[in-house]
Amino acid sequence: MKKRAFALLTMITLLALLVGGCGTPVPPPEPTTPPPPEATTPPEATTPPEPVIGTAYKLGFFSSITGPTSSLGVPERNTAEMIAAQIEEAGGVTGPDGVIHPVDFIIYDDESNPEVAATVASRLIEEDEVDAIVGGSGSGPSLAVVPLMQEAEIPYVSMASSRAIILNPETGESYKWAFKTPQENFHSGGWQAAYVEAMGWDQVCVIYSNDGYGQDCLAQTTAAMEEKGIEVSYSDSFEPTDTEFPQIASVVASGCDALVIGAVPPGAALVTVAAREGAPDLPVVLGHGVCNATMISAAGAAAEGTVFPCGKLMYADGLPDDDPQKALLLKYREDYMAFTGEGPEGLSTFGGHGWDGVMWVLEAMGSLEDGLDLTARRAAIRDYIETQITNWPGTGGVFNVTPEDHLGLTYEALGFVKVENGTWVYFPPEEW
Amino acid sequence: MQREGWRRHQISIGIGVFAIVIFLLGWLEMAQPMGFEFSDVTGGIVSFDTLVRVGLLTIVVVGLNMLMGHAGQISLGQAGFYAIGAYVSAIMTTRAANRGINVLFPGVIREEWWWWPWLMILAGMVITGGIAYLIGRPVLRLKGHYLAMGTLGVGLIIFVLFREGGTFTGASDGVGSVPRLCIGSFEMWPRERYYFLVWAVALAVMWLSLNIVNSRVGRGLRAIEGSELAAQTMGVDIEKFKLQVFVLSTVYASIAGSLYAHYQTLVNPTPFGFVGSLDLVIMAALGGLASIWGAPFGVGIVYVIKEVLRARLQTLLRGAGGEHEIVIFGLLLVLIMIFMPQGLSYAAGKAFGWLRNLSRREGKTEIDRLTEKAT
Amino acid sequence: MQSILRTKSARIGATVAAMVLLVAIVLYLGDAKGFGAVQYVQLVLDGIRGGSIYALIALGFVVVFNVTGIINFAQGGFVMSGAMLAVAFNNLALPLPPALKLALAVVFGVVGTTIVGALMERLTIFPARHSHTLTLIIITVGVYIFMQGMALLIWGANAYSLPAFSSLALEDQILRSGGIMLKAQSLWIWATLAVVLVALYFFFERTLLGKALRACAINRRAAELMGINPSRMSLLSFAMAAALGAIGGVVLSPATRPIYDMGLKLGLKGFIAAIMGGMVSSPGAVVGGILLGVLENVAAGVTRAGFKDIFAFVILILILLFRPQGIIGGGERGVEQ
Repeated sequence: MKKRAFALLTMITLLALLVGGCGTPVPPPEPTTPPPPEATTPPEATTPPEPVIGTAYKLGFFSSITGPTSSLGVPERNTAEMIAAQIEEAGGVTGPDGVIHPVDFIIYDDESNPEVAATVASRLIEEDEVDAIVGGSGSGPSLAVVPLMQEAEIPYVSMASSRAIILNPETGESYKWAFKTPQENFHSGGWQAAYVEAMGWDQVCVIYSNDGYGQDCLAQTTAAMEEKGIEVSYSDSFEPTDTEFPQIASVVASGCDALVIGAVPPGAALVTVAAREGAPDLPVVLGHGVCNATMISAAGAAAEGTVFPCGKLMYADGLPDDDPQKALLLKYREDYMAFTGEGPEGLSTFGGHGWDGVMWVLEAMGSLEDGLDLTARRAAIRDYIETQITNWPGTGGVFNVTPEDHLGLTYEALGFVKVENGTWVYFPPEEW
Repeated sequence: MQREGWRRHQISIGIGVFAIVIFLLGWLEMAQPMGFEFSDVTGGIVSFDTLVRVGLLTIVVVGLNMLMGHAGQISLGQAGFYAIGAYVSAIMTTRAANRGINVLFPGVIREEWWWWPWLMILAGMVITGGIAYLIGRPVLRLKGHYLAMGTLGVGLIIFVLFREGGTFTGASDGVGSVPRLCIGSFEMWPRERYYFLVWAVALAVMWLSLNIVNSRVGRGLRAIEGSELAAQTMGVDIEKFKLQVFVLSTVYASIAGSLYAHYQTLVNPTPFGFVGSLDLVIMAALGGLASIWGAPFGVGIVYVIKEVLRARLQTLLRGAGGEHEIVIFGLLLVLIMIFMPQGLSYAAGKAFGWLRNLSRREGKTEIDRLTEKAT
Repeated sequence: MQSILRTKSARIGATVAAMVLLVAIVLYLGDAKGFGAVQYVQLVLDGIRGGSIYALIALGFVVVFNVTGIINFAQGGFVMSGAMLAVAFNNLALPLPPALKLALAVVFGVVGTTIVGALMERLTIFPARHSHTLTLIIITVGVYIFMQGMALLIWGANAYSLPAFSSLALEDQILRSGGIMLKAQSLWIWATLAVVLVALYFFFERTLLGKALRACAINRRAAELMGINPSRMSLLSFAMAAALGAIGGVVLSPATRPIYDMGLKLGLKGFIAAIMGGMVSSPGAVVGGILLGVLENVAAGVTRAGFKDIFAFVILILILLFRPQGIIGGGERGVEQ
């Protein structure tokens, strides 16, 4: 008897939750035309004493807050929330006509699963009706949503590295509505090959993680190495949840001169530790995905002496003062640490990719005339990103987005670093 | 034993009513009378996309319910067969073009033809059924927990093979650019049209299963489920029945997989691993294992819970994210299984008497009897 | 095929032949990769280490199954919980010498998880104790999901670390000999397994409580008639399983990087090891675990690591088909639903 009562109670509660969504007045994501009262007067009030507040813009954001790529998604989400707080304080973005538009950030978790990514993307496009979407920590979820973005004609900026996100592999043309901010794996591969060549090695082994990123790393590294005539004598994958690494035995047996690891931490750290234990004298080269403090803390002493290409965010202090990125990198680091309350170990290039993407969209929103409808806004934001992001210093590099290249970064966006005494030291080619 | 009057057609009536509800929801989205669209029904919580996904998994879970609830066989690897259907459709409608299918049937069959993907759905069913038949013979000889492990192993092996498939299966990135289904020049898109297609298949599958379960075959299954030894004594050919149901359930999964491929347009190994199979079992159990009607319920409730959490969690707990969703989902799962172990369809049946008669029509199974003892 | 294997000698012959074939294949593949004896020994050693952890986890499965008939999918969660709690304690800033702090962290991890296991039993298993086995299995799945979610919530998605027991630092002491390397932590793992096995032996054979537990496993009704309280035994079994899982997690932690989702894979492998022991036999589970670890590691080493999971499951299926009572054998018990 009690059980049935509880059963009914649970059902009623669930139904109530559902229905409650209809009845209860819920604070925006769905604001109506009279703007929400929390928009405050921005400090830099323009000539009219009462600034006009326009309709709120909506920015959709999703990343892998849970799941295997959550170490990428969480800093990205934190960055988005940080920017959202900054925009809220400023009241919104100011249009060219002086009208201030508050920006609503709608943030979802794609659970590192392409299926969920497609679900939340559909939700953002149709239910939440956002003006632009920034999202996708991993290549899988990002690739899954590109067709949706193309069909819905909404601008999309991905934070994942696969080239196929922005470039149709069959036709070689850019997808009209998709952009991305992280540096390419083939730039990373290029750096690795250059280093290996400079050190005079001719055989490398590659160990990569069993996901989209790792496999792309394998492909790019192999291509870059082969271009320089370096042989990849052995390659194998690993699961980030592995506790044993039999691959190291094969690495040793193959007699290669160096080990290239294509993964992100903590997986990459585990492999590095295993490599140091099983093959202590083998040099280890990694990719630009390990350039964050998790790598150092997870690998410890094993990380000493490892080299890899790295976005400038992580060694911003060491940059020359005339570097166009230095100022904004330092500011981002400061703001991020203040917002999350963490120390420098929370910083990562992933958060930076999120920052770049969101700032593109915000800048585009700031260029919009007042009174445009949803379709027009989406198209205008897309056009802005494709044409106006030129010589644009971001955390990932200096971007030059063109219709042919929806990323806009080159080889120089990355620098090469070496790990010494538990931190990154800038390691330019002159010192190799 | 024939039932009298309208009860003879109880299954068809039930399906018919359900079909009308589905149709209305779809029509709401399509016609959008007075600007009112589907999402307004739930205040923007459940999206139309979710309804389509519920339909897809209903097809799989109906098969699972038949297998687990009526034949008493556990399958922890059903996602593997879902995957086979999805990959066959995906690969054969994209990469096959590059592999020169034209060469095989020059000038006769060309993959640009609109009926090629449909043919591939059929091909997927045949391939999946064939694999299930080959695997089923030895594996179904196991019982209980051993069977669970065996099917788990099968599912995982299939998953790993797809993930390690190199350029053939696209490995971790999967196969993309899967085309949409069309009949002639009528494209099964936008979403509303696909919704009708998916649910038409789901309803057909449910109707078929309900009829099977209420026929001689169904009684044979229930006999097996009650006690294999007793059934054998009565002359029921256990091996044949178990295998048939197993193969049928995997064929359902394959159809669903193919439809999924054409919906998502990208087939990636992630949803087909152990967690995927577990999700399916959870959906089957939540809906009520012994009930075919439980399938849409179980799938629906899981999706609805996830959507509700996704949409409303931000307002209930500031700064809540996906982490909270997982915790709450686990909690809800435990609570529901403790207090409503027969699943939601049974609970709903208690609340709405006539629905209960429908599920009861399928016959009381061992599970019903065991769980009833608890209340 | 089954009919041929009916005679015992034929079965033994077939088994031996299969093993020889297996070794031959391994050697052939390894040779193609240029393996020397060093690599094989290394792979086996590492496999024994991993396998020991599987053995500890498997023991947890066996204890619970024996007493309650439930497959506890939350076992992996206990492993993770033990590891994370130990890490959390160790990361506190306490004015203690590192060795003592580490020891206390280990104790904290195991005791804390035991409490979690007991709570789990009382709150989720006990209320549903009359339910169908499948229902209970799904409940344990729900508990696992909950535990993983809580870990993610509390500790985030970061990977943590526990100092190695020998060196009290992140880097372990490594013993090297002729190209083969052995981590000091491996010795700790093997020692722990040995101690646990001895302790369990004494518990089950020499203590009244242990014998009561065994009685419950053999025949619940009869035990009840003898005055043993089955629900208390159920509680005890879950607490023990939690402790065993936690011990495994804690002693493994220095060799890997504890993270919120480490439990799933380990739990699954431990489960396979338990099945290899016929699900009812403790020594079978231990042998199964170590065997699984070695086979899996060697196979992955001579072919591709991506296929490691496949090997584990192929082994599993072969065992299920040809020797379902497990390697050492405990009889077919309680398998039909």
